[in-house]
Amino acid sequence: MNRTRIIFFGVVLLALIIVGVSLATRQFQQGSASIPQPQAPRVVEVRVVTALPVEPWVQEAAKTFNASPDAKIENSQIKVTIIPMDGLTAMGQFERGEFNPTPTAWIPDSRYLVELSNATFKEKFGRDVFLTDGEYRARPIATSLFSWGIYDSRAKVLRKKYGTIDWKVIHDAAIAKGGWPELGGDPQWGYFKLVVPNPRRNVGGLQAMVAAAGEYYSKTDISVADVTNPEFQKWLEELMGAVTDFSSLGSYTAENIALFGYSTGDGGQLLESDLLVNMQGIQTRWADPLNIVYPKYLTWFDFPFTTWVGPETTALEKNAALEFQRYLLRPEVQAKAISRGLRPANTTVEIPNDSLFIKWQSQGATTIVPRTTAMRSPSRDVLLALLRFYDLRVARR
Amino acid sequence: MTRQPTRRNWGAYLGLGCGVLGLLTVCLVIAGLYLMGSRNPSVVQRPTPAPNPVSVLRIAYSPDKEALFTDLVARFNALGLTTDDGQQLRLDAVRMDSEAMVKAAVAGELQAVSPDSSIWLDQIERSARPAQATPESGSLTGQTKGALVGETRRYATSPVVLAMWEPVAKSMGYPDKAIGWDDLLKRAQSDKNFKWSHPSTTSASGLLATLAEFYAGAGKTRGLTEADTQSKAVLDYVTAIEKTVRYYGEGELAVIERARREGPSFLDAFVVQEQLVVTFNQQQKGAPGRLVAVYPREGTLWVDHPLALLEQPGLTPGQRQTFSRFRDFLLEKSIQQRILQAGYRPADLNVRLDEAGSLISATYGADPRQPQTALQIPPATVLDAVRAGWLTAKRRTNVILVVDTSGSMSGQKLNNVKDALAEFLRQVPSQEERVGLIEFGSGIKSEIQLAPLSQNRPRLENSIRSMAANGETAMIDAVRQAHARLQATGDTERINAIVVMTDGLENRSRTTLNQLLTEFKSSNNKAPVVVFCIAYGNDADIPKLEQISAATGGLTRRGTLETIRDLYKILSTYF
Repeated sequence: MNRTRIIFFGVVLLALIIVGVSLATRQFQQGSASIPQPQAPRVVEVRVVTALPVEPWVQEAAKTFNASPDAKIENSQIKVTIIPMDGLTAMGQFERGEFNPTPTAWIPDSRYLVELSNATFKEKFGRDVFLTDGEYRARPIATSLFSWGIYDSRAKVLRKKYGTIDWKVIHDAAIAKGGWPELGGDPQWGYFKLVVPNPRRNVGGLQAMVAAAGEYYSKTDISVADVTNPEFQKWLEELMGAVTDFSSLGSYTAENIALFGYSTGDGGQLLESDLLVNMQGIQTRWADPLNIVYPKYLTWFDFPFTTWVGPETTALEKNAALEFQRYLLRPEVQAKAISRGLRPANTTVEIPNDSLFIKWQSQGATTIVPRTTAMRSPSRDVLLALLRFYDLRVARR
Repeated sequence: MTRQPTRRNWGAYLGLGCGVLGLLTVCLVIAGLYLMGSRNPSVVQRPTPAPNPVSVLRIAYSPDKEALFTDLVARFNALGLTTDDGQQLRLDAVRMDSEAMVKAAVAGELQAVSPDSSIWLDQIERSARPAQATPESGSLTGQTKGALVGETRRYATSPVVLAMWEPVAKSMGYPDKAIGWDDLLKRAQSDKNFKWSHPSTTSASGLLATLAEFYAGAGKTRGLTEADTQSKAVLDYVTAIEKTVRYYGEGELAVIERARREGPSFLDAFVVQEQLVVTFNQQQKGAPGRLVAVYPREGTLWVDHPLALLEQPGLTPGQRQTFSRFRDFLLEKSIQQRILQAGYRPADLNVRLDEAGSLISATYGADPRQPQTALQIPPATVLDAVRAGWLTAKRRTNVILVVDTSGSMSGQKLNNVKDALAEFLRQVPSQEERVGLIEFGSGIKSEIQLAPLSQNRPRLENSIRSMAANGETAMIDAVRQAHARLQATGDTERINAIVVMTDGLENRSRTTLNQLLTEFKSSNNKAPVVVFCIAYGNDADIPKLEQISAATGGLTRRGTLETIRDLYKILSTYF
């Protein structure tokens, strides 16, 4: 073989080596990139707008549910997210289409908020968005009622003067020009201070006005004519004149009465569960416990778990929401609700002896509510009339 | 015998060489393309580590809680928390007074706020949506559409109190008698030597003090109306009370710091949060006395330190999560105990006020069972009327600005001072305040006589614009002239003040420092003049300035190119 041929074959060999190495390198890189990655399980998100009085309990339940093996549906992992929001505010956001994405479910304070929402959507679109019957119907997950919470020292003075505590007594205390000294109390207490949540921020504020109207008229079904009656409005305005502060954080009224004590509120009609969870803290901080007094005309909140049935959420999401609803009604989860001062919605669950209801029996709490009359749910027009009254006569006083 | 290449062989070699080179080139190009292709990330997705993104939440806090809040933010950031998708959670905390906070929130510069009181949250909402101050009519829908202030939680509270030196409080009946606003106001009117102060209405404690005056003037403890705030009798009452205020000031923290330095000679009583009283007494070593918290008999207000998320357009899920985690962090028991140890009443009611390390006790001048009653917070429109009424009724001011424009002030130094002076004029709250100006170098260069801002503003602005740097520093002569001008007014109704700024050593005055101080001493009993000094830059004669300000109950502050504007702005709050 002559030198020319050797050179020729040498060059060809070199070229083949270069091409071969290139191909091998590429093959190796492709091979390493194509190592199969483990696939994450599919997640079904359930977003639940939740009323503030039950939010801490539902939030805790959502955490345990998400971590439990029950959080599965059709080979998908359920992830529940809680969006805390007052019932009226949530209703507004639903009606204005401000939620993005649309929540899968809603736990408002009371069933009547669901009915009001459905009425609005029916008028706009000719359909309900929250079903009230069938598989997706609204089911209460816990209940609570409105009761008087009054500082012990103040309650004693009122009982001594009036013999009882009700809206009419509170009204008379509120209009006492001389304040507590005129009622027989300590001059340092100043004037009588009523606690009512801001009705524009907390549905409890509206409920308080409805309950006051019920007692004023001695009836359970309040009409627009009742709440627009000038005499009643004058009486209600005088009553609301004793509220110390509507301006600050209106959504957490029981927390306010606990945090600022008798300095900002001698008492008010508030949700029993809110009062019970704050009883210990109030006693610790102010050395003056609250008295719980059940009114003659009772208002219940039933916290219905309500699934959005519109096309904005998938069937899988709706069913995942139902799984969470069932979880909330389990006896062990209902027991957690009781430990937070709520009454169980699952009728098979009893209130145990170590509950807050028993612990604060000496202050008036009770597991069995005395025979009283339940207020009927107000109509939208009644609520609107009360809010108009509040805007014009109270908020701008 | 060697073979000699023939012409034909040369041609074959040339052809072979070209072919080989061509083949080699093609192979190299192919190999290159293959290898380049293998490095193209769009072809092969080899995971590469990327730096973790950071979710920053910008949050403003009120100046009164700087020590606590910056500590808590540092602790939170040190936790190195991340979101579910790996973003680092970070807080960027910035100190702001309430007015600046409201402006920045509305301008979209903040994602969260923690003012001293929830009152300012209402202000943010109303400023963001002035047209929607009330909810939509005919609507059941709770808050107005698209509210800016979102989720809100409190983490610490403190009642607003009258801080008094213990002997002063005892002279008014403490602790056996409940002392009220009325007692304080009577004492201030009857005792010429009694000195008290409250901050301006830009802080919750200043607003409370003012509100209490309006309530007292209207003879009410609740139900204050706009008509009350505009009534002549009420305004006359408030004006009479405000005349007894020594001067206003930049806030509670500055007041308590001066009280520590100067003791009872500074003020007999002032309005602050309880927290500042108990921490003052806790750090009593070297303090000139003990303060006690007096909870006004007619009622007080609470500062409730809310933490509020601002629903700004573009708020990211990461920022939302940062807020939630910080909220939860603040409510943790160990943090709530830390808050108690800092002198606040924690939001967690399970943290006892009498537990170890608590400052809320008689030992530190507080009473955990107080306050017994609070004043009613009127609607926002009435609060606005109270603020407006205060501007009418507040004690008026005669202030002369004494400005050094010696040669050393040339360049950026003078430019920044001109900006700062213009800002000062903008910040003075009322057109009825009288302002004058003396510009000095080797001597008095120019002077604008004292006159109400409503008349004097254009003259002052022109004079500031035309300032030029030259000459030496005759600062003492200039201050003496300003003092003489104020004395000549004989005006004891107003706060008389001089704000002097200089950047160098005094080297040209005919008057000595001792002569000046003697003149202050002899004349200040007739019409007291307070001198505030700004030592601008590193070469200012701070000891001399401090002697001047201390002799009149004023104060000396250091300023730099960067801070001079803020410094003049702060001093404007004293008037």
